Formats: sequence, C-alpha cells, structure tokens
Amino acid sequence: MKNTLIILFAGACLFFNSCTKKTSTAMVNEMVDTTTAVLKYQGNFQKGPYGTVSGSVMIYQTNGKWQLKLTNFSTTNGPDLKVYLSKEVQPLSFIKLGDLKSTTGNQVYDINGSPDFMQYKYALIHCEQYNHLFGSAELMMP
Amino acid sequence: MKCMIKIIVLLMVSSAPIIAQAQLHSTNRFADITGTVGSSQGTFAASYVYNWKIGKQQKIEIGLGARWTTYLGTKKDFLTAGPAEKTRTSTTPFLIFFAGQQEQNFDTLTVQRPLTNSLNLTINLGYNLSRKWYAGFNIDLIGFSFGRKGSGILTSNGTTTNEPNAKPSSFNVLLTGDHDKGTLNSEFFIKYQLDDRWALKAVYQFIFVEYETVNRKQTFSDGSSNDRFRNKANNFGLGIAYHFIK
Repeated sequence: MKNTLIILFAGACLFFNSCTKKTSTAMVNEMVDTTTAVLKYQGNFQKGPYGTVSGSVMIYQTNGKWQLKLTNFSTTNGPDLKVYLSKEVQPLSFIKLGDLKSTTGNQVYDINGSPDFMQYKYALIHCEQYNHLFGSAELMMP
Repeated sequence: MKCMIKIIVLLMVSSAPIIAQAQLHSTNRFADITGTVGSSQGTFAASYVYNWKIGKQQKIEIGLGARWTTYLGTKKDFLTAGPAEKTRTSTTPFLIFFAGQQEQNFDTLTVQRPLTNSLNLTINLGYNLSRKWYAGFNIDLIGFSFGRKGSGILTSNGTTTNEPNAKPSSFNVLLTGDHDKGTLNSEFFIKYQLDDRWALKAVYQFIFVEYETVNRKQTFSDGSSNDRFRNKANNFGLGIAYHFIK
C-alpha cells in the first residue's frame, strides 16, 4: 500500500516538473545573406513587464521571402519564450515565428507568407505559457 | 436538447425496475482514489460508488456514485466543441458516435496551463470476474466544474489570436457525442482485491475537458459563433479502492 502511494506521488512530481522548460543560453550566430537581402524594417527592443530584452530587430526581404533577424540580442531567461510579430504590444493578434532559439546572439527566423507590416508592427519576445511579455520592438522603415 | 432530455428520462425510467429488483439483494459500496497520466496531462480523481448486485449469481453490479476529478495539463489543444450540427454530419443521439466530422468547422484553442475541477454524478457498471478480480466501467452524468482561468491561443480561420481569459465550462452533462457539455470523466478498470477492504485498480481513462473563451470567439461561415472548445484525452493510471463492509 505504502509503495503504491509512493509510486503515485513520484509520478505526480515528475509530471509537474516536466511543465517548465527554459530557453537555451548557448550563443547563436546566424546571418542573413546581405548581398541579396533588402532591409525593410527595423527596431530596438524595449524591456517588457516580465523581463529585460536588449538588441535590435531587422526585417529582410529576399526574393519575395521575409526573414526576421535579432542582432546583438540578449534577454533574461524564462519558460516557453517565443518570437512573435504582433499587431499590439501586448499580443492579441499575432504571427508566431517559433521558439526563441537562445537568450543571446544573432538569430534568424523565417516569416511565412507576406504579413502587412503596417499592421504587424511589433516584434515581441513573449512567454507563451504564462502570457508574459518580456520585450517588444516597434518596427519602422530604415 | 429536448430530445436529449427525453432520452435521459427514458433511460432512467427504464432502469428503475432493475435497480428496484437489485435493492432486494446485496450492495457493494466503495470509495477510491485514482491518478492517471497522459501526454503532458494528468488527472486525480476521488469517487464514491454505491452499486447494487443483480442477477442470480450476483456477479453483475450497477449503481450510482459521485466523483471529483482534477485535470491539469500543459499546452493542450482544445478543438471546437459544438454545436453538434456544426461538428458532425448527423446529430441523431447515440448515432452521432458514428457520424462523420465536419473538420472544416474545427478551430483550435491551445490552453497554456489548463486546470479544471469537476464534481459529477456517475453511473457505474461492474462484473465480478472472480473473488479477487473485478472489471468495471463508469462515466460522469451531470455536475459542475470550476478551475483556472488562463491564456489560450485561438487559431481560427488562419489567424492566431490570444485569449487571455479562457476558463473551464461550468456546467457538465452527458448527452452523447458532440452533444455533451463540460468536463466528463469515464473509466474502464480492472480491480484486484488485496483483502476484504482494500483493492488495487488499473485504469484506462477517457476524459472530455471543456474550456470557453471570453473575449475571442470562433465564427462559422453562416455568421454564428462558438466559444466552447474540448480536449479529449486518453490516459492510463492506477488507483486504490476501499470497500465499506457492514
């Protein structure tokens, strides 16, 4: 009886502990091919209510495809950090570009389709699991 | 809805003679606690069961009970939960199980940290395989739920929006298939009797969990809207039962 309770308790502990996964801190250094890419929008990160984010964001267009680049980027770590293009600073309508690859470095994310950057005018670092904004950058023409 | 209520009343009335006959015979009363786990989700349930033994050999049991179920998960997808005429090709009660799905009307609400608590009336069926082994099935009938409000991401008609205040549906009722509302737990289980009072239980669980959106709604092509989204989970687990002996 006692053993059964211990097994059930251990299972519950494992389940709860598996819920939080932080972002990698390993430095990333990805580049955009600037011989063909055209810089269309850029911005600088401001810290959000739940984290400190610094660095800049650039939106490039290459042969009709769009890419987002984080340059000299750094953020405090957190669980389930994502990169969004959003219509608002606090994301309500947004496009998810993916999991944040690392808390530091230069990172490139592909953007599906052709978003209207007059509407999707913010790049965000957002903790999706807890709906916490870590940082935002308003996109402007260079 | 009226049709569903008629069916439930009919089932209750038709089962009354069986229960009345069963009352002449002995009963099996037990309480159990069960933990289950699935993919990024799990449940804890505590229940009380009052079964009547029926048949000549009294191997078959039928009864009612009450069950508390706590469900929690991480990043679970909840799909459009109704109305049934939007999600199934036929809405005839019971036959709805075999109806095709209208997947073009399915949207997804990804709830980041779902947690629901439900208290439901249950119906229970069991069969005494031997002195030590017992097989059973139970399902929630009606009750209520409450739980954690939280953020969800609604992916609807190709757009992604954040719903900051997704919440569990408060009313639960079993009406078959996509007519069901709320959070409903069901179990197939095998029980092994350790002694007169204690038994171990191995469980396959099928549970519906329902969340509602508050600010964002799914809009169907005819202009009607939906705010109910359901996660259907298959879990496995273990439990302990305590039998009340006179």
